[in-house]
Amino acid sequence: MEILNQFGINPILLAAQIVNFVVLLLILKRFLYKPILKVLGERRQKIEDSLKNAEEIEKRLAETNEKIDDMMAKTSDDIQKMMNEANKQRAELLEETKVLAGKMHDDIIAKASEEAKVNASKLEQQIMTKVADIVALGMEKVTGKAMSTKDKKDIIEKEVRNLS
Amino acid sequence: MEHGIVLKPEILGYFKGLPIANTLLVSWITMAVIIFLVFLATKKVRLVPNGMQSVFEVIVDFIYTTVEGLAGKKTQVFFPIVATFFLFILFSNWIGLLPGFGTVTYHKEPLLRSMNSDLNMTLALALTSAFLTHFFAIRYLGIIDYLKKWFTLNPIFLFVGLLELVGEFTKVVSLSFRLFGNIFAGEVVLATVSSIFAFIVPLPFYFLEIIVGFVQAAVFMMLTLVFMVLLSEKHAAEH
Repeated sequence: MEILNQFGINPILLAAQIVNFVVLLLILKRFLYKPILKVLGERRQKIEDSLKNAEEIEKRLAETNEKIDDMMAKTSDDIQKMMNEANKQRAELLEETKVLAGKMHDDIIAKASEEAKVNASKLEQQIMTKVADIVALGMEKVTGKAMSTKDKKDIIEKEVRNLS
Repeated sequence: MEHGIVLKPEILGYFKGLPIANTLLVSWITMAVIIFLVFLATKKVRLVPNGMQSVFEVIVDFIYTTVEGLAGKKTQVFFPIVATFFLFILFSNWIGLLPGFGTVTYHKEPLLRSMNSDLNMTLALALTSAFLTHFFAIRYLGIIDYLKKWFTLNPIFLFVGLLELVGEFTKVVSLSFRLFGNIFAGEVVLATVSSIFAFIVPLPFYFLEIIVGFVQAAVFMMLTLVFMVLLSEKHAAEH
């Protein structure tokens, strides 16, 4: 073991250094590795979460954009449809109104002519009555006798026939 | 400058029978520096790191990823040991390059000497590494499987096992002497070059030693890790 002596190997120094190493190991384990590894793990977790969140947000954004596009397309379709419908309805309404107006026009004319007819016959009736009265009065003056209703009627008819 | 080329560490004095070698003193200084920096780094651990915390985060994360790649499920157990080897050796190597090392004297002996230029220190680390390696091997394999690695009834494998057993001792020797040799040689080179011309000329060698200090720490760490992983794995079934 001459070589050990040459290198100055001393068991006590060896032991002291081993103790040094163990002490350093324990201290570093407690005060360096544990907290640093913990914080590294936490940071990794946080970054992972953030990336996941970012991905999620991007996905949601894309979805929302798609939805908005869909809705816009649908809305414009709806608007077009509604406008078409409205145009159609307007046209129909116009048509209907026209028809109704025409009908009302005819009705009014028919009613008016009817009324005119009725009025005319009423007038005729009145005239006839008046004429008959006048004739009867004239006859009474001429003949000196009152005419019966039957006579009156006969005369009136005869007269009217003459008139027409 | 003759002191630079002495294999034995210089004993500065005795404290209740404990020889205070200058390398042991540096070992304590290194520990103090590391612990101080670590306290600075993890005094207030924040999710958004700053200053020392980010420096140590980079180191810890790098070592952890390396260990994870090799050790898999055993990372939690191996990582602190391996990382401590790395930090301890790295800091002691770099601290050993600071001015005052080898030049400041105490009772005509250099007060400070790079920790790993003393075989005591490197051998202690290598022994710790070997002990822990075998300890974990027994823990993960069980004593029977562990012994089966070295001793089998098959004569060929028995011979191979015995060779490997010798290899285990070689590991300790190679780990300790590699580190010691590199750092001691660096010390010698720096001392020699400085004695030729102390200004500017030694600078390239200092840069070299900075790299060597890092590489040796990394090598010690990686070898310890690989030995631990290999030994604590079940032997591949005989084919």
